[in-house]
Amino acid sequence: MQNRPRGFGNPWLQLALSVVCVFVSELLLKRGATDVADPQSALSWTGINGLASPLVWWAILLIVASFISWLYVLRYIPLSVAFPLSRVVDILVPVGCWLLLGEWISPLRWCGIALVVIGVALVARPVAQMEERL
Amino acid sequence: MNLFAFLLIVVSLLSFVVAQLLLKKAMESTAAYGMRNPRFISLVAAGVALMTVSFFLTLGLLQRFDLSYLYPFQGLSVIFITGMAAAVLKERLNLRLIAGAALITIGIVLVSMS
Repeated sequence: MQNRPRGFGNPWLQLALSVVCVFVSELLLKRGATDVADPQSALSWTGINGLASPLVWWAILLIVASFISWLYVLRYIPLSVAFPLSRVVDILVPVGCWLLLGEWISPLRWCGIALVVIGVALVARPVAQMEERL
Repeated sequence: MNLFAFLLIVVSLLSFVVAQLLLKKAMESTAAYGMRNPRFISLVAAGVALMTVSFFLTLGLLQRFDLSYLYPFQGLSVIFITGMAAAVLKERLNLRLIAGAALITIGIVLVSMS
């Protein structure tokens, strides 16, 4: 990690970009998939009919972008650090569902989200300290 | 939630975890051999193929269940991936990383139970 690039090539920035792309793509997928949902058809278990929605295609574009950032991240950051950190999406997605899709979140579900916040903070703190020393 | 749907969730999760390990291996091989070596290309191809399987299964599931209910199952991958990174990729774990991964997973399970 000593000779990692700075600026746009900074792997931590790329990790953040990747997370944001995944977050937006998940909301788009949910909207797109429900727009064209056809639960009667057996084929719909494969999800392939989701491709009829333009929102799903936008989501795919974002997934490809997040994937490229993610590959770049893997070059510089250990998987056991990068992957737990990438789970910030597990906080962003339910909160986004609540704010933007109008889904209801029960108190127990909020507790679960809070534990994820603590877990991500635990993984992130030594990383932040390590960065300061560099 | 029937058994079939549960099975699809498990297959989607497993293919995602294995894909991550393959991709990490692929990117590690670029350090020594660059991107034009057959090892990198085949590992990335296998990783992308598995992620595609996982993607379409998830899309099918999304048509039937709330996103805030379904999505957390993918979060179980945290504990699997952290464990596999140590076992297969020989990454060093410390107590903090293990505790962090465990809390994230418990949190995610709570979310999916509620």
